[in-house]
Amino acid sequence: MSRSINDYWYPVGLLSGIDAPHATLLLGADITVGRTHSAYWVTDAAGKALPTIKRFGHLWTCPGTPMDDLFTIPEADTAGRQLVDVGSVRVKCSPLRAVENFLDIAHFPFVHTDILGAEPHTEVARYNVDIREDANEVWATKVKFFQPQAAKSAEGGITTEYMYRVASPTCAVLYKTCPPRPGEWDVITLFVQPLNEEWCEVWPWMALYDDDSTMAEMVSFQQLIFMQDRSILENQIPTKLPLDPGMEVPTQADLTSIAYRRWLKKIGYTYGAQLVAA
Amino acid sequence: MILYDYVLSASCYKVRLMAALLGQSLTLHTVNFHPAREHKSADMLALNPKGTLPVLLDGETVLTDSADILRYLTRDAPEWRGDDDPWLALAADLNESLGMARLHDILQYDVDIDAARAAGVKQLRKLEAHMTAQRFDGHLFLTGAVPALADIACFPNVSLAPDGGVSLDTYPSLRLWMRAIRSLPGFIEMPGIHRLHELEFPE
Amino acid sequence: MDWVAVGLCEDVPARTVVPRRVQNTDLAIWCSTAGVFHAWGDRCPHRGMRLSHGFVRGETLSCIYHGWTYDGDGACVSIPAHPDLTPPKSICAAQYACRVQDGTIWVALQPTQAAVPELGARRAIRSLAVQLSAETLATRLKQPFGPVITLGGAHDIALAVQPSTDTDCLLHAFAAPDQDRKAVSLALEHLRDELEAAA
Repeated sequence: MSRSINDYWYPVGLLSGIDAPHATLLLGADITVGRTHSAYWVTDAAGKALPTIKRFGHLWTCPGTPMDDLFTIPEADTAGRQLVDVGSVRVKCSPLRAVENFLDIAHFPFVHTDILGAEPHTEVARYNVDIREDANEVWATKVKFFQPQAAKSAEGGITTEYMYRVASPTCAVLYKTCPPRPGEWDVITLFVQPLNEEWCEVWPWMALYDDDSTMAEMVSFQQLIFMQDRSILENQIPTKLPLDPGMEVPTQADLTSIAYRRWLKKIGYTYGAQLVAA
Repeated sequence: MILYDYVLSASCYKVRLMAALLGQSLTLHTVNFHPAREHKSADMLALNPKGTLPVLLDGETVLTDSADILRYLTRDAPEWRGDDDPWLALAADLNESLGMARLHDILQYDVDIDAARAAGVKQLRKLEAHMTAQRFDGHLFLTGAVPALADIACFPNVSLAPDGGVSLDTYPSLRLWMRAIRSLPGFIEMPGIHRLHELEFPE
Repeated sequence: MDWVAVGLCEDVPARTVVPRRVQNTDLAIWCSTAGVFHAWGDRCPHRGMRLSHGFVRGETLSCIYHGWTYDGDGACVSIPAHPDLTPPKSICAAQYACRVQDGTIWVALQPTQAAVPELGARRAIRSLAVQLSAETLATRLKQPFGPVITLGGAHDIALAVQPSTDTDCLLHAFAAPDQDRKAVSLALEHLRDELEAAA
């Protein structure tokens, strides 16, 4: 049985930021998020309590029937990491466009110039992508790219290795070479709350090994990166993500996005997607 | 000089940009404005009871208003100064209109969004008319042939207007003015204001 | 309408690109380093990013998102993620007919045999946006709807009308060559205020 869009878990707030009841949207429907003493809650428009999970510093809810637990990120639990609440930014784009952009590295030299990429180091070498049927996730591995300043704690250019993981239709996890800890991976996530099909609230979150930067500096770095993406995301035509081939032209560098689109189609997740060329 | 700074703030960017164009170095103290609201923390309120950013610290001097900071940075650079007050007043108005529309759209600030955008469009039209007249006289900048404090004060909130849902598509003179500023030696960008990639290409 | 004015040449100098909208079609109007004007669909075929956010190098326009680069014929000539790849000929930007006459850039969305409208012995003043449809604008000016509206008057103003959307148009204004451009510009500001205020 294929699940409905309502049966997935979605982020709706930072645990550290939820206080007075806050009206927001989820999948086009009004919801209210709040906290009574230490109990976090979410209600739908009719006042019915929705299920909640507290994980990765965020409150998650499911407006339908959750079919399984919210995914986990075991790497994020290892000791010594800074858990970074980046906050949220609203973007006028499809939630799926926001995720797809997060999975893309070829834009680094042009959108995150001199930070995550720089000309002439624009080449994207072949990497591996697979749809993992057991976990129902999309993975890209052995992704390598030259970065002038890979993270707040990085100095000088290095070739950085990444793994990308689409853990649910609107949530992706990036594992990235960690300059101070060779052999370990920094964890950077993008959790997207679909407000509606063409508007989303994006909650980045990170679990980093970084003993040099202040929390404010780590937050600032990620907000800088995401806001550079925002000006792209609000200017793609069409606003929704085309799932059918023909409207947009992918190349080998886009293997992750090709797999993501294919997987969305396979699992029937078409909220925020454009199925027929307009 | 220490600047208490937030990377997404248009007012902080004004200060960073002015200093960069003057070749002055700032030590940035990054404040977790969002989501932690550190600008309202006890430490920050002790420094600036208004609880706003930017804050500039230079020895015993503490400045908490971006207009005052721009005047301070240019105190020994008369070539950047002129009849600044009207332009700084306009910059403050742009921050209330386009700046607040932007904070509404990005961070959900409680703003009368239609009123903020309408006020912004009115100001953009005035600026466009002014810059059109400047171009008739062969001038690329708000107050003349060379960039001035006035330009740097107004540039950030104008350039970031699309972040708040206000299009800049139909302001040809403002677009060329913004481009002239982005072409200045020492120009630095911020998220939402891309660098001119064409400049790095040797003709 | 066959030919629609989309801007003044002096507003789109060499190595710049601007967004324009004609009857709800998004265009990227750009001028190459050699001064050649182009009117393209405002959409990179790769990921749909607006090409008007891109950058001009030499005789090419590049998309800001991934740097895909298109030559003067709209053909993709470079994909930076694959520097050694020759892009297939099928990858190209949508192109529209583009002419320069009277210091003005004209675009035809459909192929046409028609001549570019004449503006008489006038010189370009400026472009300005009006929050009215082109039809409403013509009605309020009590003039027939068309690509060029001649107002005459002391400044001998002519307006090339660019219908942008159902609620907006962009006017490209011209006046007698002996008229002071600042004075005409100011007169246009007042005219816009009146037209938008008229119920």
